[in-house]
Amino acid sequence: MSTAEETFKQQPVTKRRTQPLLNKSLDFLSSVKFGVFQLCVLVVLSIIGMLIVQQNVQGFDSYYISLTPAEKLVFGYLGFFDIYHSWYYNVLLLLLSLNIVLASIDRFPTAWKYLVEPKLTATREWLANQKSTAALTMDTSDETEVVDRITKAFEAHGMKPVVTQANTMEYGVDDQGRKDFSVVKNRTSTVVFGQTGRINRLGAYIVHVFLLTLFLGHFVSLQTGFDADVRMIPGASTDEIQMIQFDLDTKEKFNVKLPFSMECTDIQQRLIDPTGSIDVSNTLDWRTELKIDDPDYGQQVVDVSMNKPFSYRGYRFFQAQTIPVGHGRIISFEATPQNGGEPVTATVKRNGTTSLPDGTTIEYSEFMPDFILGPDGRADTKSGDYNNPVAILNVTPPGGERTRVFAFAQKLADNMPVGAAKAGYKWRLTEFEKTPLAHVLSIKYDPYDAAFIAWYIGGFGLCGALAFVFFFSHRRVWAHVEKDENGDLQVTLAADANRNQIALNDKFLEIAEEIKTKQE
Amino acid sequence: MQEIERLDGKMTWKSWLPGIFVIGGSLLMVPLRMQIGPSFVSDGGLMMLALACYILAALFLLTNLYAPSTMAEKIGFFGAALGVFFNLSSWLVRWVNAYEHEITIMRESGNMENPWMFRYIPFANLYDMSLAFAFGAGIATILLARRPSFRIIGAFTLPVAALILVLARFIGDEFIDLPPVLDSYWRPIHVGDAALSYGVAAVCFGVAIMYLLKDGVKVEAMAIWSSIFGISVLATISKFSVFTEFVYRAGLFVPNEIGKKPFSAPFRLEIPFVGPVLVVAGLLLAGAIVAFLLYLYQENLKAKTIGHYFLRLAFVAQIVSIGLLVVGMNDNAAVASRLQAQLNADPSQYVIAGQQMADNQQLTTQELAQMTPRQFEAMGRAYFQGSGDSMFLSLNTNPVEVASLLTALVGTMFILFFSFRTERLRERLPSLESLDGLMYKTACLAFAGLAMLLITGAIWANESWGRPWGFDSKETGALVAWLTYAGFLHTRIARGWSGRSSAYFAIVGFMLVIFTYLGVSYLLKGLHSYA
Repeated sequence: MSTAEETFKQQPVTKRRTQPLLNKSLDFLSSVKFGVFQLCVLVVLSIIGMLIVQQNVQGFDSYYISLTPAEKLVFGYLGFFDIYHSWYYNVLLLLLSLNIVLASIDRFPTAWKYLVEPKLTATREWLANQKSTAALTMDTSDETEVVDRITKAFEAHGMKPVVTQANTMEYGVDDQGRKDFSVVKNRTSTVVFGQTGRINRLGAYIVHVFLLTLFLGHFVSLQTGFDADVRMIPGASTDEIQMIQFDLDTKEKFNVKLPFSMECTDIQQRLIDPTGSIDVSNTLDWRTELKIDDPDYGQQVVDVSMNKPFSYRGYRFFQAQTIPVGHGRIISFEATPQNGGEPVTATVKRNGTTSLPDGTTIEYSEFMPDFILGPDGRADTKSGDYNNPVAILNVTPPGGERTRVFAFAQKLADNMPVGAAKAGYKWRLTEFEKTPLAHVLSIKYDPYDAAFIAWYIGGFGLCGALAFVFFFSHRRVWAHVEKDENGDLQVTLAADANRNQIALNDKFLEIAEEIKTKQE
Repeated sequence: MQEIERLDGKMTWKSWLPGIFVIGGSLLMVPLRMQIGPSFVSDGGLMMLALACYILAALFLLTNLYAPSTMAEKIGFFGAALGVFFNLSSWLVRWVNAYEHEITIMRESGNMENPWMFRYIPFANLYDMSLAFAFGAGIATILLARRPSFRIIGAFTLPVAALILVLARFIGDEFIDLPPVLDSYWRPIHVGDAALSYGVAAVCFGVAIMYLLKDGVKVEAMAIWSSIFGISVLATISKFSVFTEFVYRAGLFVPNEIGKKPFSAPFRLEIPFVGPVLVVAGLLLAGAIVAFLLYLYQENLKAKTIGHYFLRLAFVAQIVSIGLLVVGMNDNAAVASRLQAQLNADPSQYVIAGQQMADNQQLTTQELAQMTPRQFEAMGRAYFQGSGDSMFLSLNTNPVEVASLLTALVGTMFILFFSFRTERLRERLPSLESLDGLMYKTACLAFAGLAMLLITGAIWANESWGRPWGFDSKETGALVAWLTYAGFLHTRIARGWSGRSSAYFAIVGFMLVIFTYLGVSYLLKGLHSYA
């Protein structure tokens, strides 16, 4: 039995094997078709989320109430009111990530080959089929000189030329243009190869890495963090914040204990027109001063301003809103001695203390922007606007009793009880810096700074990688030099680029010109 | 062997000069404005000059398509460059004006603070954004038109820039009180990137239309899509009343402080004759769609001829309706009594007005649930009693509606242009390969720009609101547009989809950009409702 027969017999006749299910699944999961399909589904779901008001958006209440019971039921059942946190949206993002990873793994070897195994040689026929190709007529028949011109032209365009001698064998051709296998010809040719930007072949993978960094960082941030807020009134301190959870039209809050305590020492609202209202439209900035008291790291005083958040131990504090009831941050008042004499002026900060030259101590206790006496006879404010501002002070004369006095901005008649002199002086509010009653800070807890990593590293990396992918390209140029049967030099030049072939064409023509004519 | 040719000869640094002069010249306008003071030409005036230049340049370039002339091409190109100069100058002068406007208020009230200059950068509302968007489209056009073979793209992209400026004109150029959250260095980065990306997307859209035309897509097929767009506009404006009640009602304004944009009243007033003419235009467009479908699917040549007649008549009806609308909106005689008569005939409009007012007051679900239609009606009546006499009509009350009607008109106009000597027009367009390449390049730029937009927006949101991504409607809109361009590029790179498929992607991508830019601001709730 010959070896050939033995081999033949040993091979069992089997059915044609189908691809294993796992391979099929992986092929499907890594396919571009599946990726594009997922992108389309993502677009559709995102549009649904855009058109149906989401439960955490301001104005959801009125939208929700305008829906019919059937709409509420169907949308609620399908999770459309919080679509971006629904299980299917998360599954889709997960599958998309998987698709990116698998597609990258699947296609990486091909891309890597461009880097490590450049195509150094090529036949004239192959080059003639490239998108940019030209047969050059040379003004010399000296092969060495032509190769030298080619290498110089390549170098002038930023390419490192690689010269390869190629010996190829081909069959002859009969009269009718068919291959004649009885005739064998040996051809010797020189191929000069040059390339730029080969790393661009990996651009897509760099994009995918940053995209996954972004997805992963955002996911970690969502899973490990939470949103909360805290109300800050000067003088008050707390070690608790309120975590917020949305459930359709109800917003629930839960207390969360902080590993440190905070005291609000000052709040400020910088106004465009200091005499105007404390509306958002008249505001330059809000600032909250906090004193952090941490058993582990000690004390520090910090500021939280609009667009200038404060980060501490995974908690980031932001300006969110104000309680727009007018208050006075710093007030100036005039105290006119009851028994006659020159009025004395003084300035005091909110919750602060000052004293007059005679030793009278004044504590700044309260501020009412629109004074009114309540039904029980207690001082109150009718509105948050500065219609009838009054500062309430606790005054202690030397050796006297602590007395509560009202310093009004407007002049009051002497016979009015609230305008009467108290603690030896008649009091008047002369000036005050407008500020709201309280600030509400929002807090984002992100223990691993995952959002920062996701958006700064993943985000900017993604933009840079996209620019690298789309605005640069891998360009390859080959020059094939061969003497024909008549001894004339045949030079074939060809080039390809993985993108922007048009720009390469311009460069290609320049190279061709430089090769054709001897450069001085 | 397939030989290649150089597209436009060797491009030298001189080809950049128009762009450099445009930007340099505009920058010189800033010291001039500061030197001369408020008597310098206003930013609104410069914007109108830019609009005129864009329209004229587009007309010359369109003329050049049908009757090739080097002179027309040059006038078109340099007209476009002049338009970009006025456009950017308008934006820069507005920056100085915004600064002086607020500083004057501050000084008058004794506030001697000097906020930083980027607080006043004109990226505060849709007017500012529109100026920058049109500039993005304009500068991208003149930079691409460096290559003589691409000069022609201005005929397709400058009308888009002009329409954006028309929209800006209708929005109104009053300064807004800047919300403090916008006073961030991220605003010029984020919004500037948005404007330029949107501009490049507009150019990509123009190139895609050119590609489809060159590729032999039948003008009748294009007419079907432009007519569908036109009918969609007619169906949705005036709160869907055109096709349901055969009337067009325009929004009303109530005066505000001097120099500030008037308040929108919760009532709309019927403009005589506009509704019926719009219905006629809609029916004619529908007729054109049916006729062209018959032609395309049954090769019925008679239907094709009829379809073109319908389209021409629809064009006339659209012009008449817009003319009547403009005349009607400028007629402010007896607005209150006309509105009173309309409300007497249909008191349910009081209820709608009351609901809108309650919505604006941001009442909670419980508070809204407790309110009855009678209470809504009472709110509407009280508002009318208090402000009815001061209400007035203005083209600025409905900027998006008027701009959409004009866009539909321009769409029909372009289809009529394309149907005239179509083959000759196709010959004049650049080759399919170069258009495809240009479409790809501009899509890459738009894609990278939109990616930057999303990232800078997320980082700014993280700095200001404490969360990088909240699926706010504008964020989602931008994401959807970006994903569409991602689909464009992925199908091209991985599956070899180019040419027509890419052109369709580019058109859909730009539609989504426009939806993000306008639709989200005017139709949906969210944190970006100011712009």
